[in-house]
Parts: sequence; structure tokens; C-alpha cells
Amino acid sequence: MSPLNQRARTYWRSLEELAEKPEFATFVEREAPRFRDIVNAFDRRRFLQLMAASMALGGLSACGPEPNPRQLLPYVDIPENVVLGRNRYYASAITQDGYATGVLVSHIAGRPIKVEGNPDHPASLGGASASMQASILTLYDPQRAQLVAAHGQIATWENFVGALHDRRKRLLARKGDGLRILTGAMTSPSLIAQIASVQKQFPGMRWHQWEPLNRDSEHAAAIMGFGKPVDRAFDLRKAERIFGIGSDLISTAPGNLAYARDFAAARRPAETGGTMSRVYAIESTPTLLGAKADHRLAMRPDEIARSLRYVAGLLGAGPQDWTQQESAHATWLKAAAVDLAAHRGATLVHAGREQPVEVHLLADAINDKLGAIGTTLRLIAPVQADSEPQRQSITELADDMASGKVDTLFILGPNPVYDAPADLDFAAKLRHVPFSVCLSLYDDETAVACTWRIPAAHEYERWGDARAFDGTVTIQQPQARPLYGGHSPYEILAILLGSPITDDYTMVRDYWHQRAQQENRGDFDAFWHGSLRVGVVPKTAEPTISAALQSNLAAKLPPTAAPRANGLLALFRADEGNWDGSCANNAWLLEMPRPFTRLTWDNAALIAPSTAEQLGLSTQDVIEIAVGQTKVNAPVFVLPGQAADCVTLPLGWGHTAGGLGAGVGFNAYRLRPSPSEWATPITYVAKTGDKYRLATTQGQDRILGRDLVQEGTLEQLNDSPQSIVKKSKPESLYPEYQYPDRAWAMAIDLNSCIGCQACVIACQAENNVPIVGKDQVLDGRVMHWLRIDRYYSGPADAPDTTFEPVPCMHCENAPCEVVCPVHATVHDHEGLNLMVYNRCVGTRFCSNNCPYKVRRFNFYPYAFERDRPPNSWNPEVSVRDRGVMEKCTYCIQRIRTTQIDAERENRKIRDGEIVTACQQTCPTQAIIFGDKNDRDSAVVKRKATPIDYVLLDDLNTRPRTSYSAVIRNPNPAIEEKQS
Amino acid sequence: MAIFRPSANLFVSTALIGTVILGAFLLLAIWVVPVVGYNTEERYAPEQPIPFSHKHHVSGLGLDCRYCHTTVEETSTAGMPSTKICMTCHSQIWTNAAMLKSDRQSLAQDVPIRWTRVYTLPDYVFFDHSIHIAKGVGCTECHGPIGDMPLTWKAHTLYMSWCLSCHRDPAPHLRPKDQVFNPHWNRTPSTPSGKTLMTAYHINTKILSDCGICHR
Repeated sequence: MSPLNQRARTYWRSLEELAEKPEFATFVEREAPRFRDIVNAFDRRRFLQLMAASMALGGLSACGPEPNPRQLLPYVDIPENVVLGRNRYYASAITQDGYATGVLVSHIAGRPIKVEGNPDHPASLGGASASMQASILTLYDPQRAQLVAAHGQIATWENFVGALHDRRKRLLARKGDGLRILTGAMTSPSLIAQIASVQKQFPGMRWHQWEPLNRDSEHAAAIMGFGKPVDRAFDLRKAERIFGIGSDLISTAPGNLAYARDFAAARRPAETGGTMSRVYAIESTPTLLGAKADHRLAMRPDEIARSLRYVAGLLGAGPQDWTQQESAHATWLKAAAVDLAAHRGATLVHAGREQPVEVHLLADAINDKLGAIGTTLRLIAPVQADSEPQRQSITELADDMASGKVDTLFILGPNPVYDAPADLDFAAKLRHVPFSVCLSLYDDETAVACTWRIPAAHEYERWGDARAFDGTVTIQQPQARPLYGGHSPYEILAILLGSPITDDYTMVRDYWHQRAQQENRGDFDAFWHGSLRVGVVPKTAEPTISAALQSNLAAKLPPTAAPRANGLLALFRADEGNWDGSCANNAWLLEMPRPFTRLTWDNAALIAPSTAEQLGLSTQDVIEIAVGQTKVNAPVFVLPGQAADCVTLPLGWGHTAGGLGAGVGFNAYRLRPSPSEWATPITYVAKTGDKYRLATTQGQDRILGRDLVQEGTLEQLNDSPQSIVKKSKPESLYPEYQYPDRAWAMAIDLNSCIGCQACVIACQAENNVPIVGKDQVLDGRVMHWLRIDRYYSGPADAPDTTFEPVPCMHCENAPCEVVCPVHATVHDHEGLNLMVYNRCVGTRFCSNNCPYKVRRFNFYPYAFERDRPPNSWNPEVSVRDRGVMEKCTYCIQRIRTTQIDAERENRKIRDGEIVTACQQTCPTQAIIFGDKNDRDSAVVKRKATPIDYVLLDDLNTRPRTSYSAVIRNPNPAIEEKQS
Repeated sequence: MAIFRPSANLFVSTALIGTVILGAFLLLAIWVVPVVGYNTEERYAPEQPIPFSHKHHVSGLGLDCRYCHTTVEETSTAGMPSTKICMTCHSQIWTNAAMLKSDRQSLAQDVPIRWTRVYTLPDYVFFDHSIHIAKGVGCTECHGPIGDMPLTWKAHTLYMSWCLSCHRDPAPHLRPKDQVFNPHWNRTPSTPSGKTLMTAYHINTKILSDCGICHR
């Protein structure tokens, strides 16, 4: 090892591995060669009997009738612009929190098959998140609500329309008294206008908005600080120093995909001339920004507020006496403050939605002081519809329901029975409402509790509009007719209004017609079709507004910070997959390994290693958590990097009704009180003595000192770039393969990877990767072709985190190929390591011989076990049956399609023309794919950087997938942590 | 006392002959059955809702293939004609022919005509018409004398060995681009040689027999 490589680190993946307990070795022994149990279960004779029987039965099973009736059904009339066999893309948008992100939905033969980000949309820029990728599965989910029901009895839409007409007459008579509408956070201009007309017709109506993961404190801080409601939009390209406080900037904040792109672009020093941003993070529970931070501190929420006061005091954004208090992290905070001050005008302080008003106020004050407002942070008029604080709104609604003031309630979207603050007891109060209507995608908790439940149309099944984080409007166009008879909120409100027009298309179009006239947008048809085609309504982004931060900040805050609290604290956080619970029925998201815990199919109470030790807890222990009188049983997961004394409870699990997510995980909402939505003291935690098996996808093997992750510092990169990665190129006895034509290759930048899992789901969607279920995950049979490994280094309580996406390496000397007895995995002339499913007999030799463990085996007919409509699979990719090995193909179907297009036009394939599914969705452009033989290609340029390395190069497999090492930019003033 | 009674001889010889016959049957099953016409469906014309004659439409009336198979130059699938395409002519001529009942029914009821596939490929094979057309492979190379078929029958086995015979050596199967859709084309002395065409079309045989060309 070169002397310069002073940051030689030990990496670890699980706490057991770090501790090197003997039990872990036996655990690995037990888990890895999993057939040991099976071997002992049979004697030889019995084994042969069973084998013979299964062979015979296997032969019999081939004797069935031909499954395909061989029918060929042409169109009666070919729809305009449809070319069979060619993908078509239609722009639309999908909302989360009410905020839109633009998508392009690819259609094959008229069926929506795959979602991509819309490059023209400011919130997507071509990237898509995991939940956006998974939205296509929800569209097809046969467990979605399909029936109109009244008082639990099956009814018809006409029944409902009749009932609503009667109700309307009564409401008109008393001017809408008792009428309430409850929606999620709302940005849709046309729906807002429609609700306004409801308000006009029924002056007594009240409109409530509720999101369980609301951004109330952010909004409250804006009103307190700037004197009016404003939204904050960020420009990370200019941010050389970022200070995140429990920040969701690159994970879930509105606009996170666009922010993530700019964030990563500023952190590729090997490609951009040796400069990169520096990130500080203080947080209570790991966030993606914290994982990417150069310096991170885990601390309790009260400590965060105190620390931020200290920093504000140092920077002159608060009174001087704030710097007087003692802090355990004073040196760290001081160094960060000095660094921030030195980069005035190029810094950004960002606080996540879970942070209290005080923290947001402090963040604004520091940003103001450091000249961030106007450079890295701009203020715009609020994008969401006006709303009183949502917590207050839902509380008032619940109180009014209890006191009988509400007699007609429309719940259009949210699921308050499940996710409203626990002490409101929304379900009981809802029973006082004689006429309640729930429009929902699933027959969820609220739908079941309402007098009328109406199946909702998916966002891909109806017209609509929504705004992005910067105000840009997208008109949503349906991608399919409602598959399960869903209805849109427009229809229901139109009937309530007594409007003769009830179809959403006419309503949305009429709204925009009117608005286009008002805004002088010229020819309406051109405007309408143009907006639909591009997926963005031009010139709708909000302009920057000026608002001065009121200077008497200290007066608004309590004079002294809250004292250090004692005892355990429950933190309520969005789940990385299930979000607030609205994505809980999506199988892909349920089986998506969470970035930090690698957990699938369950949530768990996340506890810091030190706290777990104090409490005598270990992973998989079941504990009883009590907040006040309410108790919930939850399995423990000991999470490195979690703040001490903080128990993070991921929300969005433990549904009691709905689809696939019902009964999976525990429901943390039951503990969540209305006064403190994000953190609340725990009354007690008690060990029940039970164990609960958690299905994690990592931690069943050992690293044994291999250089899987390589890293260096910015200083090192600029001084001696060659010293960062260790390379060995062993000689081979075999002749080299020659690739005179094309040589496909991939380069993954570990510095850019933020671990968001979008690529994993994109790959799953593109390549027909099945889900396997919790039991199979426990057996290590997860099928994801692309996984994101998570590595830690440093001490267990404050580790550095690195994410590493691992697809097939497409080795030039592939170990899998030589062991296949039937040539089912072979090399092609462009260097692809092919998998020929129809040849595979399932020996699994290849998987055993693959050093990267990227091969996946269909132990059961996973693809056919789940209730998934056949028309939802990607027809360009084989659906694999039981007994077949599969793995990443570099999206060979995309290579072929482009290759055929190019050959048909008699030209070469252009660089960047083939985009793999993971590459296309990656918000940070961490993945580049291309031709290694094309000297000007982007992939060659990235591979030419001195920090490019391949995994396990001493095995001489010559992988085509290579990695750019992690480059950290530590502040020399902050002492290096001891590993 | 002898160990074997005389009947044992009979038993042994029957068993020996039986083994040979069984072996012959097995060989027959393995080598012959898969290639007999009954199994490969070569020269087999399945029953169709409309007894469509390519001979009449193509050789008789001179319709171009692309009139009905509209996407053959653009995408993987050649495209089956929609009912409306049939009706461009048949709304004017043979409007009451009994043969075209299904066609009229399809239009009136807006339900597709249910043809039976003549050429079926397994799901793990991804064949693309457009690239074959672009590289000068004529329709009749795979579809046989399609222009002379009164009823459409399957001209080739579509076995992988048959596909590969051309993918390994495409030269004899290539023709000038303007002759691709000609069902009666024959190589003449003035036709450019297969080799010349290979160069002109930039056909790289090396990658053509890679598994990933058809299987994905």
C-alpha cells in the first residue's frame, strides 16, 4: 500500500461483522451454504426417489394442452400514430405531496409499460425516483379498489350519483353548511378552481388539506421569517458548502431529483477539474444527504436545535450569547461555521421537513447572513394552494365531526383513518358523519369507514394538472382508460356542483382554455397540444420574489434553547419505500431494500448501537414501545449512524385494509400524537422476549478485507491521483479476447450514487424482474438484477456510509461461462456476457462461480406466482420461468433496438444513444454506458480518470463495469475520526 | 438340474430383439419425429376465418406486400392488415361475398378478425422483420413462394438450425433492395453477388450468430 493512502479504511456491512463475533462466523457458515439443512434432511435413497419422481412428473407436466391458442388479432382500425412494435412516449406527471414530477410513459402496442423521467420537466430532468418507477405497477395492481360501495354493500356509480344529487339539494338549501372537502396537499390549478366554485355555490363549505408528512413547520417558519408564505427553491450548482440539518434535499423534498442532479454534478472532481462541494450534516436518523456528507454528526433533535443556535451565533445570525453555551461538538461546529463563512454567497443551509419551526427559522437566518438568499436559495410564491397548517386543519375537522357540525364529507385522496394523529381518533369521529365519501385507489382504512367508497382512477388514468416545486405546471394526460372502473375527483365535484359536464377531459381543457385566453397564449389548440406533448406548460415557473428576512429573529425564539431532554425519543419518519403509506401496496417498493437497513417487507424500530447496548437489545428483538397509553410491538433494528436515545419509527406500514401492504410491518402512526408529529418522548420500551425475523438483503457474508470500496480525499486526488485506487493486473495464461467492433461497458461513479434505489426499481420494471416475497428474501433469493450495496467505515455510532450499485460486471474472462455445462451463459462478440434462458437447465454452477454474486435463480416460478396481469410485463424481455438463472444483461433489448435502428439507417450507433434503464432513471447520472472502443464516448472518458477501478481485479475477471472511487472533501480543521 | 430351462432361451432372444427395436424406436423418436412435417407444420395451412389467397392478391392483382403488412420496414412485426385495410377494396368489390363474412362482421361489430398464426416463434425469440428487409432478405426467403399460395402455408420449420444456416452464411440469401418484395425474384447473372451485397449492407456475420441477437 502506498504511504499516501493514509486513509486506509476497514469497511463493514453489518454490526456483527464489525464486532467479529464468533456467532457471526457460524451465522455466515449456516446461511451461506444453505443446503446443509437439506442434506441432513434426506438420506441418499430418499433423495434419489424424490429426484426420480420429480423427473417423471416434470415430463408429465409438458403433456398439457398448448397454452397459446395461436391467435393473431389485428386491429379493426389502426389507431392514428400507433406503430406496433415501436415504443411511444406520452408525457404526464405523477404527484407526491401534491408536487408534480414529469414523466414519460412508454407505451408498447398501446399499453403503458414503463415510466421514465421527463427530461423537459424541471423537477425530473430525465431522472425518476423509485416510487415513480413503481407507479406503473400500481396502475395494473388488480388489488386496487374496483367497486362502488354504500354502507359496505356493493352499489353502482348511478346509485352514488343519485344519492349525491339528493345531498346536493339539501346542501343548497342550507348554503353548504356541514359540507367539508378533505384533500391532500393541492397544487392542481384546475382542481383548485373547481373547489373555489364549490365554495362559491356552497359558502358554508370548508376545505381541509392533510398530508401526514406535511411541511407545516417549513411554512410556519417562512411566515414568521419573511412575513408572508413563500416557498424556497435551491440552486445547488452554486453551493460550494452545504449544511444539512436532517435534510431531505436529495431524498424527498419537492424537487429532490433536480437537486440531486446538481448536487452530484458538483461532486465529480475527477471529471470537473478537481473541485467539489463540501457537505456537513447533522441529523438524528440517517438521511441520503447525511450519507454523502463529508462530515456528519448524529444528534438528538434538541441537540440539533442547540447546535444550530451555536452556529448561528458564530456566524452572527443570532445573538452572541448563543455561542457561550457548551457543546460536545463545539470544535466541529466551529470549523463548519468558519468554512461556511469563508464561502459567503456559495453556501446553503437546508433543514428537512421534520425539523421544528425553530430550526427552519435558524436555517433561514444563517442563509440570509451568508448571502445565500438570491444565490443558492431563491424565494418564490407558494406553489401549493393556500392552507392553514395541516395539523390544525385536520384537528378542526375531527373536532367538528365529533360535535356533529359535519354532515357531508368528501375525502378525495388522503387516508386519515390510517394516518391522522393518533389522539384525534379520526375513525370514531368519522362515524358521526352521515354522508361521507371516500375516493381512494385501494379499499383502505378510510374507504372502509366511509358511507360511500368510490374507486379512484390512478393518475395515469385520468386528466388533471399539477405543479412542480418551482411552480411549473404539467397537464396530466391519461395513459390508459380506467382499468378498474376508477373515477376522478373532478367528476365527483362536478356532480356536487350540479354541472352538466362531468368528464375530466372537458373540465381540464375548459379550465386551460379560459386561462390561455386570459394569459393571451394565442392559438389554444397549439398551446394545448404543445403543452401535452412536452409535458410542461410553458412559462408557468414562479418568478423569484424578494422578501426580506425580518431581523429580530432572536425575539421570535425562546431566549434559551430547550434543555437537554432525557429518556428515549420516538422519531417519526417517512419510509424510504412506502412513503406515508400511500405506496404501501406496491410489491416492488415493499421488496426494495431500504438504503440503510437493507430491510425488505418490514419496518423496524431503528436504534443506535450504543442505545441498543444500554437497553440490552439486538436486531430482531421484539420490543413494546409505549407513548402515553398506546403501545405498539415492533422489531428492533440496530442502525449504525443513528443518534443515541432516538428510536426511529418508519411510517407507512401496518395497514389493516387495502392491498398487498395490509398486515405488513407495524403501524407507527398509532403512536404519533398531534402536538409533536415528528418526535415525541417514549414512555417506556420493554423487551417482550420474542424474536422476529427481519429480511435484510445484506450482511450474510463477509468482506474479509477485500477492496470493494476504494476512496480518497480531494487533496489526494489533486496531489497524487494515482495513489487513490489500488490496481493489480495479473497476467493470464489464456489469450485475450479481441473486440474489434464494439465493446459495451459501464462506468459507475460512487461519488454520485446517493443510494436512492431508483435504478433498482427501474431495472425491475424494465427487465420483468419478479418479486419473491419475504420468506424467499430470508433465504437469500431476492431477484434484483441490480443491487445497491451499502458499506460502512469507521465507528459503529458514527460511520461513513458508501453506496455501491452492483450490476453484472460483464467480465471479459467471465468465471460463470466456463462452468456452464450447457452453454447457457456465453460471451458475445461485443463483450456482453449473455444469458440464454431457453438453454439454462438450472445447475446454478454459474452463480456459485460468480465472485460478484449478481446472478439470480428462479427457485420457484416467481414471475407467475403473483397476481400480476400479463399485459403489464415488458414484451421486449423474456419472462423467466422456474429453474432458470438470470442476471443483468446491460439491457440487451435496448442495445438491440438501437442497433437495429442504426443498421436500418446504415449508420453507426451514436454515443449516448443506448441508455440502460438504470442509467436513464438515475437522478445523479452516476451510471454511464457506452462503447469502450469509441474513444470519444463518455464511458471511455470516465474510465480514463485515475480513480477508475474494478471490483476484485486480482481475480483477473476483467470486468466491463468499473467504478470511480469515492472522493471525500474533509475539512482539515475537523479531526479525523478513528476507525 | 439345469439352472435355465429351455424357455429361458426364448426369453433372452425376445429381450435382445426387443431392446434393439426399442432402441430403434427411441432413435426414431429423437431424430425423425421432430423433423417430420406433422410436427414442424411445414407445408401446413391452418384453417382461417377468411380463406385469404396471397396468390390472387399478390400474383394476380399485383398488390405490394407493404399494402397490407404496413410496418414490415419499420418495426419488428410485419403488421397484420386491419379490417379497414381489407375494406379499402372490399367495401367496393365482392361486398356480399360469403367468404368475406368475417370481415364484414368484424367491421360492423368492431371486433378483430381472429386469424390463426401460420408462423409462431417461442416467446424467448425476438425476431425483427425490419432489419431483415433492410439488409436485403426477401420475403420469400422465409415465407417461401408466398405469392403463389392460394392458402398460406408454412414454408420452413423455423428451427434454430434453419435460422442459423442463414445467419452463418447470409450471402446466398441476399438480393438487391428493390427486389426484396418481389415474390418471383430469381438470381440472374447481372445480380450483384452475395458477397458484394454483404459489403454494401455492412453485414457482420461475426455477431450474427451471437445468442443475444435473437434471445434476450
